[in-house]
Parts: sequence; structure tokens; C-alpha cells
Amino acid sequence: MGKPDFRVQNLHVSVEGKEILKGLNLHIRGGEIHAIMGPNGTGKSTLASSLMGHPHYEVTAGEVVLDGEDVLAMSTDERARAGLFLAMQYPAEVPGVSNANFIRQALNARRGEGNELPVLQFHRKLQEKMKALNIDPSFAERYLNEGFSGGEKKRNEILQMSMLEPRIAILDEIDSGLDIDALKIVANGVNQLRSENIGFLIITHYQRLLNYIVPDHVHVMMQGRIVRSGDAKLAEELEAKGYDWLKKELGIEDETVEVEA
Amino acid sequence: MSEVNTAVSHVHRVAQALGEPSSLLALREAAWRTFQELPQPYVEKTDLRKLTWEIGSFSEQVGKVPAEVQAYIDRLQHSYALFVDGLPIDFRLSEEAKAAGVTYCTIHEAPEKAETLWKANFGTVVAANENKWTALNQALFAGGVFLYAPKGTHMEAPFETIYVWTGGEAGAYSRSLVIAGELADIRYAETVFAAAAGAKVVNSHVLEIVAMADSRVQVSTADAFHRGSTHFVTRRARVDKDAHVLWTVADTSDGTCVELVENELFGPGAKGLARVVGLGHGRSHVELTASMRHVGRHTESEIVMHGVLRDKANTIFRSRTEIVKGAVGAGSEQHDRMIMIDGTARADAIPMLLIDENDVQRCGHAASVGKIDPTQVYYLMSRGIPKSIAVQMIIWGYLHDTVESLASEPMRDLVVARIERELSR
Ligand SMILES: Nc1ncnc2c1ncn2[C@@H]1O[C@H](COP(=O)(O)OP(=O)(O)OP(=O)(O)O)[C@@H](O)[C@H]1O
Ligand SMILES: [Mg+2]
Repeated sequence: MGKPDFRVQNLHVSVEGKEILKGLNLHIRGGEIHAIMGPNGTGKSTLASSLMGHPHYEVTAGEVVLDGEDVLAMSTDERARAGLFLAMQYPAEVPGVSNANFIRQALNARRGEGNELPVLQFHRKLQEKMKALNIDPSFAERYLNEGFSGGEKKRNEILQMSMLEPRIAILDEIDSGLDIDALKIVANGVNQLRSENIGFLIITHYQRLLNYIVPDHVHVMMQGRIVRSGDAKLAEELEAKGYDWLKKELGIEDETVEVEA
Repeated sequence: MSEVNTAVSHVHRVAQALGEPSSLLALREAAWRTFQELPQPYVEKTDLRKLTWEIGSFSEQVGKVPAEVQAYIDRLQHSYALFVDGLPIDFRLSEEAKAAGVTYCTIHEAPEKAETLWKANFGTVVAANENKWTALNQALFAGGVFLYAPKGTHMEAPFETIYVWTGGEAGAYSRSLVIAGELADIRYAETVFAAAAGAKVVNSHVLEIVAMADSRVQVSTADAFHRGSTHFVTRRARVDKDAHVLWTVADTSDGTCVELVENELFGPGAKGLARVVGLGHGRSHVELTASMRHVGRHTESEIVMHGVLRDKANTIFRSRTEIVKGAVGAGSEQHDRMIMIDGTARADAIPMLLIDENDVQRCGHAASVGKIDPTQVYYLMSRGIPKSIAVQMIIWGYLHDTVESLASEPMRDLVVARIERELSR
């Protein structure tokens, strides 16, 4: 398989009849890191969820193509097996299902029947990755996200990502709720994975994450679409000056996804 | 009336051959009269009006041990007693248990082998006159064990009673009595294998447990009563001072069942836990009550009930906590949750709190009926796990802790296989 190629074109998404994404375009190739920034309620998580195929979100127009395959025609699990990964802003808790068992099921599903990783090899790999992310070994047998602190949940998302080695990884506010040490560990986890074989879409509110994971492209979302794209300097500019100058430039008064009349 | 006495005396005659003293006949006959005198019972969620009180005919023929049961027995490392259609077939007492001085025999032999304990305890935890079906059981009981663990006995390995009902014309009336002496720490298990009944008859099963002061008894049950007949199950423990009785109940019946598992928290500081998993499937109708009766001061209890339903099953889970006047400082928790997977199943989760004492430590309860949480399914799917597997993982996760607390590896495997068989259809 060659370099990943992920293309989103003119994406329109509604939830409960309300249009939230209004024609969004994005093109991510292997080796690239894209950051999406933007004020609250502008549709960033909606983008992430609808790319993953969350049943709540209805795609009303547009195209999403990964390596030439129509992503929108796939179910959520098929998207994941095709190489899409979403580190969620609020991952679910699943009592009674151990973290290790969950990751093993996921990994074997991704690798496909007949190509499962032998149990011992799996556990060695898991413990290695956990160590790198400074996750206590006991978390392998803890129930999936149950009773995890906010920061532990985020690290657990990154652990899953590094085990599954996706082709396109979307990280939704992976930095929120992390102290500076945890932030460095998480950023390090991302950087370790960086290669031609993976493209990243990183949703964040803060420049501080981008100090550790330097993006190639920065996009700003408002009103359910990308209103400005640039390089890493754009993020610094936003950090320094906020969003108002950009809104003024663009003639936007309410940046959120306002309900259409 | 005369046909009735025939049944009682017949059962008694068979039991006598197994070591039952003649004095027991009077007890059985008295219970039979009680059975006849007691009115038709009322059960809130189960219509008993159309229920037969037919007891079926009795056979002395020893039934064959089904291959499934033999395979199960072959795996057991601990003490066990096997009954087929009420008759004792196989019995094993481990060396460890022998060394501990445990008394372990059939319920029929107990009046002779352990006269004092028998007299002091038989029928005191589940009395004949409690209701029509406990009376019926005392009149006709056939099969079951007597177990006494003397003071200070500590054994990790369980004692297991295996009841096999081969589905003939006879009713099933098992009865066991387990007594844990002071400071004893033991495990007891009951496993039921049953074929679909040949005739519509009424069945009544009883388990009495006496947990003396400072003892600890872990009880596991794996019921799979089959359709055709009606099953009444009464399992109760009397828990003395600072003793602790923990139940793990796994029910995969597909017949009509009215079941009670109860701790009578009698002594001060007595503690109780009931964990229940139920799988409703086919056209099963199961009304299962887990109950904690707080009598002593500073008694504590917890009930955790988890049900999974599919097809046209109807399952009622009732968690019941009663705190009688004088049980000051009692504390209790209830969690009752049911998941409907598919079909047109009906689930009722009914929390009951009956509190007559003002001075209560805490009394929490939560009950819910719903579908599998779609955000959990989505999360698992987002990692590449197909939907059907994701659903199974979530259900198993939800049952996991209770299944894990069953008495032995073979028993866990049995319950897992029974649930898996119905879930993977
Ligand atoms: N499942 C949903 N049901 C109803 N409304 C929704 C749903 N998901 C998103 N929305 C609405 O869509 C809009 C965009 O929400 P979204 O979560 O995508 O914003 P965001 O940019 O991720 O915000 P934040 O920075 O606060 O995370 C909001 O108005 C939100 O209320
Ligand atoms: Mg968001």
C-alpha cells in the first residue's frame, strides 16, 4: 500500500435536521499533519464524528475518499479497518471489558482473519507501548475507560492509536485536560508514529500542543466550514491575537453554527 | 385424597431405601395436609390461575446420566453429589473435606447421621407452611444433600450438588440443607440440568442455609429449568451474628419459574450479597426475587441483578430490601438493570424497599430497563470491531463480574456456554 490519501469534498452534515457542516474541504496525505482550530461550537467534533460514521450525523452532500475508496459507503467498523482512527473527545466507558481484550479484538479485526497477532506478541507490544506512554501496566486489565481520569482516557486513546497504526488519525482535543507532562508524553506518542504511512488531523484549541507536534497545515473552522488555511504561523497568530481579527476580516459576526431560517 | 397419600408414602418408601428413618413419614404427611389447606397463592407478575398443581407420577427407575452431565462431572475436582430424577447416583467427598470433619450425606440420611443438627435446623429456614409450594416440597422432597461444616472449617473448594431432571412424568422436588458452623468459611454450589418436561407438572425446589456466627458462605447456583412445567424455587439463608452469605445466581431457564433467593440477616452485623445474572430467551417466563431481610442491628446488604433478554422472553427481576423495626443502623444497596437485545421481550425491573425502622444507615437503589448503550457500540466499532461482536463484548462485559464469581471453573464454563448458546443464535 502506498502513501495514504484522504480527501473530503464539499461535506455537508446535519444533526437532527440542523445543518452543521456546510461544505467542508480537506486533503490529507501520508506524512502530513493538519491542525484544525476554531472557537467552540463551530463544528470540529461534528467533522470528526461524521468522518468516523457516527450514526447521529447525517451526511447530506459531499464526498469522503480514502485511498480511492468511498468512505461514506462504509460502516464505522469498515472505516476503522480501512485505516481511519478517531481519538474521541469523550470516549465511552465499557465495564467488564478489559482494555487489553478490547485492543486485541480491535487489532485482530484490523489485521484480518488468519493474520491475528499471537497472544504473547500482542502483550509484549502492548506493554511496550504502555511504557512509552507512561501508562501503568495494571491498565491492561482495567475495564475499558471505567474510572479513568480525563488524562488517562486521553492517553488510552493514544495507546490504541499506536497499537492500531492507522493510515489517517483524527485526534479530537487530545490535549484538553492534560497537564504539561502528560501533554509532552501524548505529543511524543504522536511524533513516534509520524511517517509517510500516516496522516494526522489534529483538532485543538491551543497552540501549546502544536509546539510539540508541529503541523504542516493549520485550518480555522467557523460556521461549519474552513474559513482560513495556512502553515504553523497561523496557529501562533491565533494564539497571540485570538479570533476577532479573523472574524472582522471575513465579515463574520457569529462564528458558531447558527440555525438557518 | 387417597391418591395423594399414595404419592407421599411412595416417595417415603423410596427415600427409606436410601436411609430415611420411618419417623419422617409423619412430617411429610403433615406437610401434605398443609399443602392442601393453603389457598392458591398470588404472585404479582405470574398468573398462577391456569397453573396445574399436578404432581405427576413417580418412578423408581434410575434415569441415565446424560452425556453432557457426565462430561461436566468428569471435570470436577471438588466434592459433589449427583442426583438424577431425585435419586442419588454419584457422590464424592474430597480428602480435604474428610480431614476437616465435614458431614456430607443425602438429605434422607441426615436425620440419622446428624440427628441434633437436623432437628434444630430442618424446615426452620424454609418452613412448610410458608406457602403452597414450600409445603409441597416438604411433603415430596426427593434428592438433595445435607452438609455441615464444623466450627472453623476453611475450604476454598466448593461442595456441589448436581440435579438432573430427565423430563419424565414426575415432578421435581429437590431439597438441601447446608450448615456452616461458627467461623467456618465454605462454598456451596447447585447446578441444574433439565430436559423439557414430558408432562405439565408443578415443581418445587428448596435450599436452606444456616450460617452460624462469624461464618462465611459463598453460594453459587446455575439453573436451567426447561419449558413444560412450572418451577418454584425457594433458596434462603439465615445469617447469624457477623456472618456473611454471598449468592451468585445464574439463571438461563426457558420455562415458567417463580424464584426467590433471600438472606435473613438475623444476627447483628450480618452481611449479605446477592449477584444475579439472568438470560431470558425463547418464551421463558421468569419472576426472580432477590431479597434481603434485615432483622439484626447494623446488618448490611447488596443486591446486583443483571438481565439480558431476547426473543419473546418475559423476565421480572425484583430486588427487595426489608428493614424490620429494631434493625437499627442497617445499610443496603440495590442495582437492578436489564438489557433487551432484540425481539419482543418484556422486562420488569422492580425495586422494593420495605422500611419499618427510622434509624437506617443508607438505602440506595437503582433500576433500569433499556437497550445496549449505542455510544459503547459506536466506540468499539470505531476501532474496527464488527457490530455483532461489539454487542457481544458489551453484554459479556456486563455479565462478567457475576459469572466470574461462580464457584468453579467448570461451573463458569457451563454458564458461559449456556449464555453463549442463546446469544449467538
Ligand atoms: N449530537 C448532536 N445533537 C445535537 N446537536 C449537536 C450534536 N452534535 C453537535 N451538535 C451541535 O453542533 C454544533 C457544533 O458542535 P461541535 O461539537 O461539532 O463543535 P466543536 O467545534 O467541536 O466545539 P468544541 O470546541 O466546544 O468542542 C453545536 O451547536 C452543537 O450543539
Ligand atoms: Mg468538539
